[in-house]
Amino acid sequence: MATARRLDPLPNTPFQYGPKVDFTFEGKPFSGFAGEPLALSLLAGGVRVFGRSIKYHRPRAPMCLHAHCSSCLMRVNGRPNVRTCDTPCVAGLSVERQTGWPGAGFDLLRAIDVVYPEELRHHELFTSSSALSRMATPYVRRMSGAGELPSGPPPLAFPVERQSVRVVVIGAGPAGLSAARRLSQSGEKAVLFEADALAGGRLLDGATRIEGDGDSTGWQRWKAWSDPATLPGIELLCRMPVVAIYPGRPPTVVAVGEDRARIVQPQRVILCTGSYDQLPLFGNNDLPGVMTPRALDRMVLGHGVLPAEPVALVGDSDETLRLSARLLERGVALAGVVTRRRDGPLVGALQDKKVPLVFDREVARARGGRWIHELELSPQRQREPDRLLDCALCVAEAPAAPAFELGHHAGCRVFFGSQGGYRIAIDDTGRTSRDDIFAAGHCAGAADVTTAIRAGERAAATCLESLAHTP
Amino acid sequence: MPKTIVCRCEDVTEEDLKRAFERGFRDLESLRRFTGFGTGFCQGKSCLCHAARFLAAVKGGDDMVSDPPRTRPPLRPTPFAAFAGALPEADAGAEEKP
Repeated sequence: MATARRLDPLPNTPFQYGPKVDFTFEGKPFSGFAGEPLALSLLAGGVRVFGRSIKYHRPRAPMCLHAHCSSCLMRVNGRPNVRTCDTPCVAGLSVERQTGWPGAGFDLLRAIDVVYPEELRHHELFTSSSALSRMATPYVRRMSGAGELPSGPPPLAFPVERQSVRVVVIGAGPAGLSAARRLSQSGEKAVLFEADALAGGRLLDGATRIEGDGDSTGWQRWKAWSDPATLPGIELLCRMPVVAIYPGRPPTVVAVGEDRARIVQPQRVILCTGSYDQLPLFGNNDLPGVMTPRALDRMVLGHGVLPAEPVALVGDSDETLRLSARLLERGVALAGVVTRRRDGPLVGALQDKKVPLVFDREVARARGGRWIHELELSPQRQREPDRLLDCALCVAEAPAAPAFELGHHAGCRVFFGSQGGYRIAIDDTGRTSRDDIFAAGHCAGAADVTTAIRAGERAAATCLESLAHTP
Repeated sequence: MPKTIVCRCEDVTEEDLKRAFERGFRDLESLRRFTGFGTGFCQGKSCLCHAARFLAAVKGGDDMVSDPPRTRPPLRPTPFAAFAGALPEADAGAEEKP
């Protein structure tokens, strides 16, 4: 298996970071670049298993790299359950894995996975007598727990600012930035909350392309749009995820950052919360080394960290095919692309570069011990594999799940469709079922970035119109 | 062992959903309460859609899937200190300290 490496940094990526800094990983000296996500410092340094799963003690490693999943949790500076993908690398950190016995790398409790190949019925375990249950409970808690308690109390000073502003935009991705621009152009003042360290959302993906209106890449659009100077009247707050909307009138929006919180009761809210990347369902889809396309995009194209190669890519979307091409440009070895797309310029370009393309197979399961080493492929709709694809990293695409939750907090109507999952219901002007809340982009079912940008602008226009009719 | 994981936080497999359905847990809420999907660290961000799609497939239609389980604040793990700091008396209390 190839070892982890760092690619030469690109001058035009949105992700720029500081000098090399030292920290400790399980007591040993380690280094990374100041400001890069800690998970990437660890992957670049050869860490493979980040933790163990709660029940079967299966190995876990970063899957989404966008602070949505639970696969990169570690204990950082004595605090358990810290998302290392969302924690910047700084000098002097003390980082440890928190699960597994004797440790996460080699974990004897993995035996549970082997002993229960089908199902561990935790409802019925040790319940034959109350005495047995009492005896077993402390051990079960230790085996399945999520780390030890923090080493010390949290910082007590947690300033909470209350603010009065007419409009709040939640999420600074393509839809949110486009909504904020529209508000700014009309002289409206607004607060734009973003959970990530940088504004941009999908504009930060190297594989994003925006069509029409002078085609551009996501990074070009990001450069043009994320400069606060182009957004007069808009207060952009990064690393400030909104954690709640309380549904009164006006609604109460609560954003909580690392060391401060903000409470706002705006007259209007525009939800641009985006979506969560998903993995498809196949055997061992949780194996370390299996990631979402956007995780790999951010890690390799954005940050230049390549934990292993060759890379297998599974998916049919333009983004996944473009990601394959961009990886080749960066000199990354590809194991192959498993896709149902047989023609078109994106597929043609890969064929020209002699990338192995597999058209008539799907992934039956991933194989590997603590990291993926091959994919078993089967004819479509059958689970009997008849072909192997050696790889040391795999990205597999599934429809993203809209981030509908904040709309649901606020009482907006949400509905389900198998194609897009649960999403916030809107009309074609961006109105939700509440007349003071609007939604745009992937959280309301937009299928791509170009659509999301248009939807953001439209929702902002509708919002402005409704404010004009309010005394 | 080759398991197909639906919920990575709570180790819920696709087979777990099928068996739970056969046992009579046939709507999203009871399926969730029985198997535990969506109740872990990430609170359903990577499994709810899979479970809802599973129900739509076995019950034969998207309209057979109910509204999502009630979502409650906070959306992501949040330190208690944030909520303590938001109490009206928090500022006054801080000033009184020597």
